[in-house]
Amino acid sequence: MHPFFDLLKKIIQTGVGKTRFLMAAVGLGIAMLLILIAIQAHTNFSQLLYSSKNQNETADFLVINKTITNDMMGQSAKSIFTPEEIINIRKQPFVQAFGLVTSSQYKVVIQAPGDLHFATDMFFEAVPDSFLDVKNEDWKWNEGDRTIPIILPNDFLNLYNFGFSLSQDLPQISQETVKALPLQVNISNNQVSDQYMGHVVGFSDRISSFLVPASFMAWANQKYGTATTKGTSRVIIKTPDPSNPTLVKFLEDNGYTTNQDKLKFSKTRMIVQTIVSVVGFFGLILLCFALLVFSMFIQLVIASCKREIQLLVILGTAPQQLQRYLLKQFVPLYIVVGLLSLLLVAVLQYWTAAILATHQMLITPWPGVLVFAGMALVLALVYVVNWLTVKKYVNNI
Amino acid sequence: MQIQLNHLMPIPLQDKLQQRSSDIWNREITFQQGRFVKIKAPSGSGKTTLIHYLYHIRYDYTGQVAVNGQPWPSYSKNDIARMRQQELSVIFQDLRLFEQLTARENIALKNVMQGKPYYPPEKIADMAARLNVSHILEQSGKTLSYGERQRIAIIRALVQPFQWLLMDEPFSHLDEENTQRAAALIAEECKTRNAGFILTDLDNDQHFAYDVHYHL
Repeated sequence: MHPFFDLLKKIIQTGVGKTRFLMAAVGLGIAMLLILIAIQAHTNFSQLLYSSKNQNETADFLVINKTITNDMMGQSAKSIFTPEEIINIRKQPFVQAFGLVTSSQYKVVIQAPGDLHFATDMFFEAVPDSFLDVKNEDWKWNEGDRTIPIILPNDFLNLYNFGFSLSQDLPQISQETVKALPLQVNISNNQVSDQYMGHVVGFSDRISSFLVPASFMAWANQKYGTATTKGTSRVIIKTPDPSNPTLVKFLEDNGYTTNQDKLKFSKTRMIVQTIVSVVGFFGLILLCFALLVFSMFIQLVIASCKREIQLLVILGTAPQQLQRYLLKQFVPLYIVVGLLSLLLVAVLQYWTAAILATHQMLITPWPGVLVFAGMALVLALVYVVNWLTVKKYVNNI
Repeated sequence: MQIQLNHLMPIPLQDKLQQRSSDIWNREITFQQGRFVKIKAPSGSGKTTLIHYLYHIRYDYTGQVAVNGQPWPSYSKNDIARMRQQELSVIFQDLRLFEQLTARENIALKNVMQGKPYYPPEKIADMAARLNVSHILEQSGKTLSYGERQRIAIIRALVQPFQWLLMDEPFSHLDEENTQRAAALIAEECKTRNAGFILTDLDNDQHFAYDVHYHL
């Protein structure tokens, strides 16, 4: 192509230590692969966490309360959130929506209708409607209504159906039956006692409590509650990512607790992040070594051709020409290595996407933009380091 | 391109040269472009040293060698390379061919160094024929006799643009006939370029129509 470079090829033998150079190239390939995999894994993970396709997997509602310790037993005030604590929770970055869980300040007794002879002491709680996972048009209460819509925890029915009823030889009850049962609700304080009708409108997987509409709760607390308003001991938050380690740390630091199952993902996520970071770190270390070997190889080539290069310079070869020639000997290999790593990552990504898709986890089957940027960055780094090395040693001659 | 010497003195020869007079050392001299300059120098008077100073590959001197009004050290490496490709050619006494290249490749090296070939292959073949080296063009530099190498070095120096040609005993290993042929070729190439040369040798000679004579 370039006749002068053809002649240089015969003069400057780049064959010395070729094996070392090839090994360094393999090292570069592995380094690049590790770095790109780390980047891609990171991309995939955020995609799983934040992409709208996978949103159902992650955005979640957490009911938070203080951990009850032995010291606190018998002092219910200690489990109540102070206003400062509530403000503090509210302003955390991971809190997307915040609601208080209001508890009833009156006694509740529920009786089954007719001659079922079933009665139980109860309590009610209320949360803002936007936190509910049950949508039902009966879920409303206006002052004067005698019927109170109630949401039961799904777990409660399960406990009854699969635990209690079997052991007591009682019939199991379907959700529909429970919804159809007219319940008699007695609400009382020390002075008055009133009867209402209870109507179960749904079952919640999200909140393990007996819920009534907030409007009823406010009214009833006013009417039957004791004069001193009790504080809130449970709050509910909506968070885009319950596995967010800062959330977990926040709960731990403040002695709060929530459904641990929902936080489990956080540990997995931290483990994955650690592994990804370690992989990326090793990639970077390996890259440093590859760069070192390349630099040493260039130094070796230049040193072994020192006399020839000196004569070339004497005859008028510009240092720039020599630099360009030497870089041309190495750079194409780097690009090939880079493209091969990219190809490998693309194949891995395609394969990973296919496997994850069978588990309803959707990621793009193509390497992310960051991977391309990462490759370009690594190649640019290798090029710059090589260029500086060549420049340094050529100019030293 | 103008070459000026400004009280140039080689440091290693300082004591020796101060005891005798010289037309070159420690004087103000300007070599005008296009002149054929002959510098006669006895052995040990610094002949090769002078050529190396003029070509800027040795720096152990006091005074100055100025090229186009600027002293050599003020030029960058890439500038110097450009000048050696475009304005200044040289035939070293020790020839300095690449042994791993063939004679033809040694010539081609300078022919293509600045990018596009300066002379077409036919012109180079013609030069080789005139100096009786056509038959050895494919031999490697290692296997050539000194006389053959000298003629290859001469051709190499002529396949590039230049305004000045520096020659250090260019015909030392050539017989009379080959010397005449080489001198004729060199004179011709200098004339076509409107270039001058500075030739150093031990004795007087009639190879060229010199414009200026110096005694080193």
